[in-house]
This record gives sequence, structure tokens and C-alpha cells, in this order.
Amino acid sequence: MSDCENTNYIGKSVQRVDAFEKATGKAKYFEDYQIQYRDLLHVKVLRSPHAHAKIISIDVSAAEALPGVITVVKGSDTDIPWSDLPYASAYYGNPARYEVIWAGQAVVAVAAESIEIAEEALELVKVEYEMLPYVTDQRLAMGVDAIPVTSPELEIAAGYGGPQPEGPNVMGSYKLRHGDVDKAFEEADVIVEEEYQAGKKSTSQIECNGSIVEYQQDGGVKIITNGCGVHGVIKNHILTMYPQLTSSKVRVIQPVTGGSFGNRLFPLVEPLAVLMALRTKRTVSYVLTRKEMYTSSPSNWPVYTKLKLGAKKDGTIIAEKLELVEDAGAQIRGYFDGRLSSSGLMCVYNIPNVHCDSYAVSTNTVPCAPYRGLGCAESEWAMENLLDVLAEKLDMDPLEIRLKNMIKNGETNAYGEKVTSIGLGKCLKAVADGIKIDEPCQQDDGPWKYGKGIAAAGKQNTPLGRAEADCLVHSDGSIEILVSCDEQGMGVQSALRQMAATEFKIDIARVKMTRADTAITPFDNFGASSRTTYTTGNAVIIACQDAIDQLKEAAGREVGLAKKQITIKDGKAYIVGSNTEVIDIADLFKPFDFFTQQTWGLLKGTPVRGRGVFCPAPAVPWFGPGHEDGRTPRMWNWYQFSAFGAEVAVNEETGQIKILKLMSTADSGNPINPKLVEGQIDGGVIMALGFSIMDHHMYQDGKMMNPNMSDYRLPTTLETPLQKNFMRAILPDPLPDGPFNAKGMAESIMIPVGPAIASAIYQAIGVRPTEMPMTAESILKLIKDKEANNAK
Amino acid sequence: MQNKSNFIKVDCEVNGKPVSLHVSPDQTVVDVLRNELGLTGTKKGCDDGNCGACTILLDGKAAKSCSMLIGQVRNKKITTIEGVSNGEILHPMQQAFIDTFAIQCGFCTPGMILSGIAILNENPDADEEEIREGLHGNLCRCTGYVKIVEAVEIARDRMNAGGAKNEI
Repeated sequence: MSDCENTNYIGKSVQRVDAFEKATGKAKYFEDYQIQYRDLLHVKVLRSPHAHAKIISIDVSAAEALPGVITVVKGSDTDIPWSDLPYASAYYGNPARYEVIWAGQAVVAVAAESIEIAEEALELVKVEYEMLPYVTDQRLAMGVDAIPVTSPELEIAAGYGGPQPEGPNVMGSYKLRHGDVDKAFEEADVIVEEEYQAGKKSTSQIECNGSIVEYQQDGGVKIITNGCGVHGVIKNHILTMYPQLTSSKVRVIQPVTGGSFGNRLFPLVEPLAVLMALRTKRTVSYVLTRKEMYTSSPSNWPVYTKLKLGAKKDGTIIAEKLELVEDAGAQIRGYFDGRLSSSGLMCVYNIPNVHCDSYAVSTNTVPCAPYRGLGCAESEWAMENLLDVLAEKLDMDPLEIRLKNMIKNGETNAYGEKVTSIGLGKCLKAVADGIKIDEPCQQDDGPWKYGKGIAAAGKQNTPLGRAEADCLVHSDGSIEILVSCDEQGMGVQSALRQMAATEFKIDIARVKMTRADTAITPFDNFGASSRTTYTTGNAVIIACQDAIDQLKEAAGREVGLAKKQITIKDGKAYIVGSNTEVIDIADLFKPFDFFTQQTWGLLKGTPVRGRGVFCPAPAVPWFGPGHEDGRTPRMWNWYQFSAFGAEVAVNEETGQIKILKLMSTADSGNPINPKLVEGQIDGGVIMALGFSIMDHHMYQDGKMMNPNMSDYRLPTTLETPLQKNFMRAILPDPLPDGPFNAKGMAESIMIPVGPAIASAIYQAIGVRPTEMPMTAESILKLIKDKEANNAK
Repeated sequence: MQNKSNFIKVDCEVNGKPVSLHVSPDQTVVDVLRNELGLTGTKKGCDDGNCGACTILLDGKAAKSCSMLIGQVRNKKITTIEGVSNGEILHPMQQAFIDTFAIQCGFCTPGMILSGIAILNENPDADEEEIREGLHGNLCRCTGYVKIVEAVEIARDRMNAGGAKNEI
């Protein structure tokens, strides 16, 4: 029999299940399926060159007449299901009807025999626009007198809740009242206040969004896509949009995908590709170009935060007041209300009096969607920076003020939730030690000045619904796990496989993963909010236990024992408490017998199927009667935490920043596969390093000026520190209800990077950045402003 | 539909085998590899040579196949990711990427592996800074490059220690 220790794969860095196929070029991404279709049509889209304009007329006659063009779609076509709702968040990939509300919005789409013909057809389309005033600055988009993002005569409310009293572009608001903030500020010994802004950025995963839609003879569609959530997002949305398609007529397959980071959480390309397939009764492919990825696929949402903190002399923070505005970009009837970003200002520190007014506003910029961290990197940018200001005023060090005020395990946060897992304290101490925060940097006479900084972060997990898993025990004794979770590269299917092997106490080589095909694999919602390890992981465990239970019963029947007397390990059944082998699992499966017909028992050739369904406990409403304060015992699910420390060099003459040394720590819960967790830390740090000091959308005349990978500057191997200067640690606090006490961790990593760098910049050159990214230009301006002030 | 009158003949070697192509001269190398030869391991992440996902080896040197027209590879030796391993036996660079967890979404991986091989082709003793210099045209959004750089170093050490020749 096997040694149980050898089949406990939790905490072991087992090789990724997909590594071989990816290293050899055998892995098939959606675009790699194109060559299977000899009659493929290609979709190309004409996009608005204007930030806001009325569509006076569209003439597609010349495009339609071009040989090789099969169909042309414009927003006013009556057979398309979204024409009354052209802008809402789930529909923003589709052609505009009355007016365009951002530069990059689809206007006309063509399906043609080749990409070249489709592109030529778009050049033949004539669109007459009437220019309208636009607003791309979120601060100008607020207020009752703001320029409206859509023309008022269209009477389209910005938020799904209808028109908001705060202004035409306000989508919604979330307000929280905890304790008595005014009184607390009166009692405070020190008060600090500042305004912060975090910018607009694109996830920039290397694989562009796209899909292939195969028309089926029953009138249905098979969608091969890199979009997220085969059941929960894509299939659900397609069924909602196309009433002629019923559940059995939509099959969605997600092959290997090249990253998402939140960008693909709404169906961007699938609805239009499905329409083209239904119209032409052919297979169509729709792939965004890199430029379209920047100008039409969603960015993060920028956040403006005005934050005020009050503390006692001993450093205890007693009052927090915040006004926060999320810029959701060009979307109408969106779900944003400020609650997502403001959660970052509620989940790390235990502050007894909190006053939160948060809003979301639309602007005439690329529509926004989740970007790894869900707007908390943008809001905690304010908190972590202002904490440094406060610490300086109190003459405390940045570690001490954070340790003193952070939420402790078992305490209740501002929402009224009890926190059940927080490993932040050890994360913070480790980064402070790692970069030796107590040892000042050596300075010299050159233009480079040196400094160190640390910061902390937390990120909520949203209870985002159901995950299911099927566990097949094949008659050869091997295990197959069927799940529909997204695999965007994080390695979750490898982690799920480790959980299944551990449950069965079986060699992991005998566990196979089958994933993300709505015709085969059971429901899952979508891979967001770091939920997959937790939600799908719990479902996999339940499915395994269900299958094991069936095996025990079948094995018990063989020898006349109750199933509770049977235990399963190494593909065999044993009697509990002894090492007596009852039967090999494979032998439980009997071949077909002509004289019994095998209508009972386990049949060779058909597997035992265990079923697992897991949902997080639902949120408790924070609105409506009795919830006027916006509080609730359950807003979110659990929290992941991270800390970051950096030693940086700042060039006083150019404003340039170099990261010399860094350390990142993650409270991941109990890590299932440490190497996979390390990969998330490394990738998160460098992605955050990018949006902290380099990459952002630049707008001029209402248009994005840098929609390509040379002007949109992403970190390369040259901007990232050498291995010896890149430190990291996994410092978990186990999550009681996580699978093997694990929780998600990939988002919190992002959050403290920017503020820690800002803190180091202040130490180096005495200026405090308030806007992110901290580009060389912006730092140089701060230096010049400081010099001008000193000269006065 | 396609006008083939202006097609050109291009003879080259792809993954060790002679190939004779009859293609439109405006085709990029990546499109011919993917669509004509079915070598879909070479990826497209942008169309202006910035992401590096389409990196191939051209006579042993890294080249971005999205920025080259097919006529430019006439009489040259192309290696794509499909031609790196020797049957089931992986190239040390591939094995090192697997062993170090340098692969996440995998979309940049073929280009990274080929750039890594090209770096060591030119300088079998490349140090970390030289490796970073050689990889800086390949973007990755998942790994932060940490384990990728480590993988190239490990491949270098294994190849130097074992005398395994880098024959690509």
C-alpha cells in the first residue's frame, strides 16, 4: 500500500499539468483552430474616431457590394438583439446605434472571405458624424452640470438604478457610516488629508481577445473562445441576447488561453461573432488587433480618492473619511457604484469611525472592467500614502503604524464582518526585514538618490456564485476531474488536480483534468476575484468525496462490510484500521454478463461519477430598510493580504525611477502549490511595477494616443530587478473554509507596490507623489515644484 | 477568390526539412508558418514586432516573424518551437522552462524559449544581465520574468556541464 505522505500533494510544487504542451508549442489556443476551417469568414470592425458624436448616417452599400463580403452589421439593423441597448456594460463590443461615446467604439462590422477583403470593405463605409461635447476627465464628469457622456435626449441613465441626483454621469453610489466620525476627528490629536489619483491602464495580456463561432445544422452555435466563464458568462449572455438560441443550442469551449487579468470577464467579441454566424450560417472568426485591445477592450477603472485620517498621539487611528470616485469609462446602465474600490479602504485597518461616500461616474473613454485587484490598487494607493504622511507627523515608523492599526484575526471590520484569516502582520515584518527598512540608504553626490519604503494591502473576495465539479473514477482505477473554471495561466487546474489526488490518496499521474466545455463539463461561474482555488477547489473536494463514498459502498458490498468500514487509498479499498486489502478499485467494475445484464453494480467501461457543488455563503444585503448605514455582517467572503518593500533610486535631474531591490510577501492561505504561488507573486509584482511607474493610457483630443506596445510602455526584462534583488515569501494564515485551508492570492500582490515605491521616493528626494503612475515626467515636475517652493 | 498570378516561390528549410512555398509576397512569415504550414506554436500577440510572441530562429538567430515578409526567408533555415525538441526528447531550454515553472499562460513561451536558445547560441556563457538583454524584446505579463531568466540560466548550466550541444 502507498504511504499516505507520498500522496499528500498539498504544499508540494508538483509540475504544471499543461507545462509540456506549452513548452513544445502543442498547446492549442483558440486562434490555432482557425486552420481547421477551410470556409472561415473573418470579422473586422470600423471604430469611432471620435470621443462623442451623433451618427447622422451610415452608408454601407459600397462595402456590401464588394466581392467576398458576406454581411455587414450596423447598430440600426433591426434583427440584432441589442439595438435598443447599445451601450450597457455587457454589450459594449457591439456597434453603436445613435451615437458613439468613446473613440474606439464599434460602428460597423463586416464578415468577409478574408481579413484583407473585410478591411477593404471597411474603407468603403461612409459614416457622417455630428460632433458632440465629450468629457474624458473623471473629475470633470462629476456633478449636476457636467458634460453628459450620452446626449440627454437619448434618456439613457448611466447606472442600472436609473438617473442619479448627483449628476447625469453618476452611475450609482455606495455610502457607509460607521461610528461617529465628526466626534472622532474632534478627539484626534493629528489629522491628515490629501487627494489621490490612480490612472487608466490595460491588462495587456499577450494573447488578443477573440473567438471562432461554428454554425451548427440545428441552428445553434459552437463557440471556441478565450473569453472567461464558459457557462456563467458567455453562455448566459448569449442565451439572454439571442432568444432563438436555447440552452441546448449553445456550446462554449475555452481552450488554452493567454492571460486575462480581468479583461475578459465580459463577453466582448462573442456576441458579434455569434450574430455573424447566425446571419451567414457559416463559421466566423473575430480576433481583435492589439490596437483594438487598447481602444475597445476594457481598461481598469481609474480612481480619485480624497482621504482624511485622524489619530491619537500613540498612533491609533480613530477616524477615516473618504470620498472616492470610480471612473467606469464609456458605459451606460453599468453596475459600478464605488463599492468595489472603497472596499480597499475598509479591509486592512481597524478604524472605529468611518464615513465613506463613494461613487462611479461614466466618461467618454474606453469602458472599464475588472483589472486584477478590482480597483483596490487604485484606492489603497491613497490609504498607504496617507499613512506615511500620518506616521511622519506622529514620528512613528511606517511598520509600527501599520502593525498597530491593522485588523487582527477575529476582529470585526468597518462593514461589520468578522475577519477569519489575516496573515498581514508577518507579511509586513518580513518585507521590513527583507529590505532592511531600518538601515538608511547610502547617498552620494551623483544625480541618483536612494530611498526605501514599505506598504500593506488587502483585497476582498466577492461571493460570486456556484462552482460544480464532476469526479469520474474510471474502470481502470484512474481519476478524471471535470470542471469549467477558467485557466488563464495561473495554474489552477494543476492545483485542483493536486487536491483530487490528495483526496483519493493516489499517485497524481493517475489524475486527469478535463476543462471548460459546456457540453461536457459542469457549471462554473467565472474566474474572478481570486475565487477559483477556493470555490472550484471546494467543489472538487466534494465531488471526490462523493465518488469515494460510492466506491466504499461498492467495495463493502463485495465483502459484506458497511461502507464506513472501508477506506480508499492508492486505487484500492482497505478495511478501516487494518492494512487488509479488500479489492482493487479496478476490480469493482465488472464486465458485461449476458445472464445478469449488469443492471446493478459498477460496470466495466462506465465510470463512477461523483458530483460536487459549492457556493460561498451569500452576502447579506447592505441596502434597504435597516441598512441605512451601508453596513452588513457579510459584504464579502474572505480577504487576501500582501506586503511589499522596495529600495529605489530616483534621478533628481530626470525624474527616472529604478527599482534596486524588492520584497513581496503573500498571505495566500495554505498554499496548494508553492511554485505556482511564487509565479503569481512575481507576475503580480512586475505587472504592478508597470502601472506604478510606466504604463497608462494617454489621451489627447478625446483619443488614446498610445494604443500599441511600443508607446504603451510595459516592463521588460530590463526594467525588472536581477534575481538576487527580487525577494519573496509565502506567509499564510490558513482560511478555515478554504480547500485544505487555501485562499486566493493573485490580486493583493498588486496593491502595495505603488505606495511602497512612493514612500521610497519620498525618502530619497523629499517629494510625495499623489498620482499613479509615477512616470519620470511626473516625478520631475514634483522636483521642479519643490525647487520653486524652496526658492520662495 | 485569391489572385495567384503574383505569387512567388520561396524555398527554405523549416525545422530541418526543405520546404517549397508558393505564396503571395505580401504574406508575413508568421502567417505562412501558421496558416500554410500549420505550425501554430508560433504566436501572434501584436502586429508590429513589439511583443515577441512570434519569435523564430532564422539561421540560429532570433527573429520576429510578424515583421518579415515571406520573401526574406528564401534559402534560410527556420526553426519554430515545433522544431526545438528531438522527437520526445526535449531541448534543455524546454526542460528548464518546465522545471522552473517559467510557464504560466504559455502564450509568450515559444518565443521566450527560442530567444533563450538564440542567446546561448551567440554566447554559451551568457550571464544574467546578458540574458536579460537578449530577452528584452519578448514581453510576458504573467511571470514577471523571474523564473524565465532562471530557466535560461539553468539551461545554460546544464548544457555547459553536460556538453549537450545546442544544435539549433
